[in-house]
Amino acid sequence: MKRILLILGGLLLTKVYAQTSNDTVFKKRALDNTEVNWLLSYYNQSGDHAAVTGGIGNEKLKDFAQNIQVSLPVSADHVLNVDFTVSAYTSASSSNLNPFTGASRGDDDDDDDDDDDKWLDNNTGSAITGTPWVASSGASYKDVWLNFNANFQHYSDDRNKIFGVSASIADEFDYFSAGGGLDFTYIFNEKNSEISLGTNVYFDHWRPEYPTEIKTYFETGGNLNADFFKDVPIWDENGNPTVKTGNNTWRPSSEGLIENKARNTYVLKIGFSQILSRNLQFSLFTDLTYQTGWLANPMQRVYFADKPNYYIGNAADIPRYTSKENKGVFQLADDFERLPGKRFKFPLGLRVNYYVNEFMVLRSYYRYYTDDWGLQSHTAELEVPLKISSGFTLYPSYRYYIQSAVKYFAPYEGHYSTRKYYTSDYDLSAFTAHQFGMGVKYTDIFTRMKWWRIGVKSIHLDLNRYVRSNGLKAFIISTNLQFVFE
Amino acid sequence: MINLQNMKKLWISALILSSLLSSCVAVKPYEQVNLNDPDMVLVSIKAKKFVTTFQTYREGASGASGGKSGGGCGCN
Repeated sequence: MKRILLILGGLLLTKVYAQTSNDTVFKKRALDNTEVNWLLSYYNQSGDHAAVTGGIGNEKLKDFAQNIQVSLPVSADHVLNVDFTVSAYTSASSSNLNPFTGASRGDDDDDDDDDDDKWLDNNTGSAITGTPWVASSGASYKDVWLNFNANFQHYSDDRNKIFGVSASIADEFDYFSAGGGLDFTYIFNEKNSEISLGTNVYFDHWRPEYPTEIKTYFETGGNLNADFFKDVPIWDENGNPTVKTGNNTWRPSSEGLIENKARNTYVLKIGFSQILSRNLQFSLFTDLTYQTGWLANPMQRVYFADKPNYYIGNAADIPRYTSKENKGVFQLADDFERLPGKRFKFPLGLRVNYYVNEFMVLRSYYRYYTDDWGLQSHTAELEVPLKISSGFTLYPSYRYYIQSAVKYFAPYEGHYSTRKYYTSDYDLSAFTAHQFGMGVKYTDIFTRMKWWRIGVKSIHLDLNRYVRSNGLKAFIISTNLQFVFE
Repeated sequence: MINLQNMKKLWISALILSSLLSSCVAVKPYEQVNLNDPDMVLVSIKAKKFVTTFQTYREGASGASGGKSGGGCGCN
């Protein structure tokens, strides 16, 4: 009897202990190790429709960019993601904010008093030259864009709910941005379905840079014999000098410079993804966006068809102004780009990925976009990762894009001064674009390449060629190195 | 002007489709090996971050691409 009671007592204790130990549930860490992605890219473009020079002119631009993304496991349930971007560019178009070379003009440090002495008083030539087809040496030729983002995520115990809060800051010579956001993801249906909601706000402002002739005109109160314009002849369309104190000479639009420099953006992000089978899944998502403030770019010139044309530089080049043969004359702007103070954007994206077999995956993407400025677009992209060995994967891709123009767009000399809003930025015109890509990635899931505790997980090289129907061509090469800290 | 009727229809269709699809038979976690392949992620590949950035600058459309929607830069 005693023995039976002892055995029963032992069994009871075991059951109690088992109950207690079952209360301790294993919880996988949200992120096991610190991960780092280091991206580098080089971008090069060319074209003949520079927006800074009113829709004609050199669009050459080069950009070197670098981005570092770090994901840190702060605790079992928390992850901190930070990323920092530096992007340095040189641009022929931006340089022509002040296209005039020769004697000191505008804000650039091109002071050269000797050139003033070279001014020719025979009214046919000028030491001051400019052309939309050649980059000038002004300070606006180059710039650096800096951006910092931080995102903090909390994972629920069952890992089915993720809460995030983010902040961002960005700065370049004519623009500053500060933003923040919240996001929430809910995974359900045995992790087959996922809903995400998020919001971002950006409180940005311009430090506006204007075409040099417009800026100087308003700063001198319209005096065409002061500052930049001193001793510089203004030619009419026939190459005759104008009387700068009279009515038949150049005067820009009377709208004046920007007063409200704020530019605010509010984004609502909604996403849904679903597993359809063991090899097929899709996601549907949108970033509903509302913008207010100064939404135009004050650097970008506009020329009116119903206003006479006036020039500074070599009058002999006026007849060939729109040709690349023009080496020495520049048309003074009638105004800079003006656009509505509000914009509502509705993009809707769809991704469908299909695992064909161990060698091939099909990644497809489609986006429909519309906004209240009249622009509609369709984007379709197909990427086909091909695993050619256990470590190497090729990424051939093709992207097609088509858009209609915003209702405020017209080409060079296509606008009328009676309109309230106008742009000659060809990024907002109607066009189609083709993009061809090829990438190669090496993946080492065991991170055998190591320096100290840093293991290289993958190296990805990606090349893309982009061609637009209105003449812009671009090439971009990117690399991404992924590391883990063990 | 955005065609609000078309937008409404698009959204309602998307919601109905999503709710129908979410009632499909679930794939168990141990059956999701292929779905967990790194190339099956439902986001843009990291190496294409700057490609998405230049598209935002050079095209009028933005958003729903993993890139910017217009804030944070003086872009479209």
